[in-house]
Amino acid sequence: MWTLAWRNVWRRRSRSLVTVGVVGSVVFFTLVFFAFTEATKTGMFQVLTEESGHLLITSATAKEARDFDATLIREAAAVEAAIARELPGALVARALDVPALVSGETRSRGVRLTGIEHDAALRERFQERHLVSGRLPAPESLDEIALGAALARALRVELGDLVYVFAPGTEGWGAAAYVLVGLLQFPQSSADVQAAVLSLVGAQELAAPGAASRFEIHLPAGREALVEARVKDAKDRLATAFGDSVSVEDWREASPDLAALLDLMDPVMTIFAAFLFILAGLFVVNTVYLGLVERIREFGVIIAVGADRWRVMRMVLSESLVLVLTGTAFGLAFAGALVAGLSGGFSIPGMEEIMEEFGLPAVLYPSVTAGQVVTTMAFAVGVALLAALWPAWKAGRLQPVEAMRHVA
Amino acid sequence: MKPLLRAVRLSKVYTEGGVSTHALNEVDLEVAPAEFTAIAGPSGSGKSTLLHLLGCLDRPTSGETWLGDRRTDRLDPAASARLRLFEIGFVFQAYNLIPVLTALENAAFVLELRGVPRRERLAKAMEALEALGIAHLADRKPNQLSGGQQQRVAVARALAAAPRVVLADEPTANLDSQTGRSLIEHMKRLNAERGVTFVFSTHDPRLLEHVTRIVRLEDGRVVDDERRPAA
Repeated sequence: MWTLAWRNVWRRRSRSLVTVGVVGSVVFFTLVFFAFTEATKTGMFQVLTEESGHLLITSATAKEARDFDATLIREAAAVEAAIARELPGALVARALDVPALVSGETRSRGVRLTGIEHDAALRERFQERHLVSGRLPAPESLDEIALGAALARALRVELGDLVYVFAPGTEGWGAAAYVLVGLLQFPQSSADVQAAVLSLVGAQELAAPGAASRFEIHLPAGREALVEARVKDAKDRLATAFGDSVSVEDWREASPDLAALLDLMDPVMTIFAAFLFILAGLFVVNTVYLGLVERIREFGVIIAVGADRWRVMRMVLSESLVLVLTGTAFGLAFAGALVAGLSGGFSIPGMEEIMEEFGLPAVLYPSVTAGQVVTTMAFAVGVALLAALWPAWKAGRLQPVEAMRHVA
Repeated sequence: MKPLLRAVRLSKVYTEGGVSTHALNEVDLEVAPAEFTAIAGPSGSGKSTLLHLLGCLDRPTSGETWLGDRRTDRLDPAASARLRLFEIGFVFQAYNLIPVLTALENAAFVLELRGVPRRERLAKAMEALEALGIAHLADRKPNQLSGGQQQRVAVARALAAAPRVVLADEPTANLDSQTGRSLIEHMKRLNAERGVTFVFSTHDPRLLEHVTRIVRLEDGRVVDDERRPAA
């Protein structure tokens, strides 16, 4: 039956080639879109977790806080010790966020002042990513500050100038002067104009001695599924260790909008692929139906010599499958070659800034999961069978005598 | 001897656009095993209709058809198909070979429908082609064969499956005289040597010379039933 189906498909070579081409193109583009979606998801996940960590520890009352005090984790040292005990090897960034007024000689701005202390590897990464000139405040300094480049321009201050910080209603000094030692840049322009960074001890002295607002925990990198498993395990352990005194959130809970966006990508792509396959299905219906119409007499003879209705239907369905699976094979091969070629990473010259703005890394790594390949092939087989159902039904209903008399 | 094929008061009426045509009118017929029988008559006499009804390709308006002990006029489509597949061989006027299959594959087609394993069905098909003197054309496609050769492949297709009866509808109509004669001689030899029952519909005098029985139809009725000694 398959030999007959293959030969019948190629009786009308040009028509079948067009259909094979359409199916192959749909399979190709579906897999390529899946691959780039996967690259985007992985890239966004990577950027987010590199910036903000896999887990976020905040005060249990931080989300509903109306004042600065409610955002604080008072026993920062105890929390730090528990993290080190439960998650040895994890990298930690400790931060104290203080609403403040920052002023140059002539201008001032309201900012979100951050006192931050990174583990060494994280500090290096932060520096590489965001420092555009000068240096970061030294970890133990009490009088050094770095500002977003746009903020520095707005305050009309340069490296070496004095910057004055006012943090009223807080528990530390409440006000201090700092030397501008570094300029920072962030992908989001809104961050650039609000960023002011001190050392953690500097911020604690200014606003809340011994306290912190948050701990960002960075787990070792790896395959997404493995990382997700580690994140869950780490979260469970920390939640048990801390009880209700602090809130432990994974990256999904800390960035729900981004998590929702990432979760939506696969279903949206799948629906888009389904539409593409429906369009391809129209070509398949056309080819299979025309093949039937041109061979009504032949089908009449096949029924006359003893093929029953189901056999005839299977013949039509097998022709459709041959057509679609041929196209699918080509689509898989070309898409596989392209994705394999790009899987080592690619970047789009001139687009780095835009990609950063959207939370994407400069280099993307396309890949396709087994599930996506299976989904694509399932769509292809589904299209082949659905598209051939009606022509197959018509063929099965042919009356042999009338069919053999048919004039094309 | 029990008849192999039987028609009992068989009638077929076609109605199209409100106009009824009586293609067959209470035809009675019995065909014994190993007969070499022609159903003759002018165009429109009902020859092909009778053959189609005997071969379960169509249903009569009234009357009965029998194959051996089995009544066949009221079978459902699946049962009819099964009967045609296993019991009845067909040869059509227009050869009706499958263009993408070779002569050998065409000859093996009915066996393939039956589910016979590949090696076995090709061997039987080759045997049938040899019996018809065209084994050397086994690898050719129909468009590479002459009309006579194609018709012999069609006969081989019918014979390879070893049916109880071969029904041939105007098998020599599209053949020249020499080719037609050659085909008839092959079929006659198979009838004589293997006892294959042949029933033809024809108005070809060449074919009528060789048959042992001629049933003549006119306006859907049997007007003559002549038996002859073997030629």
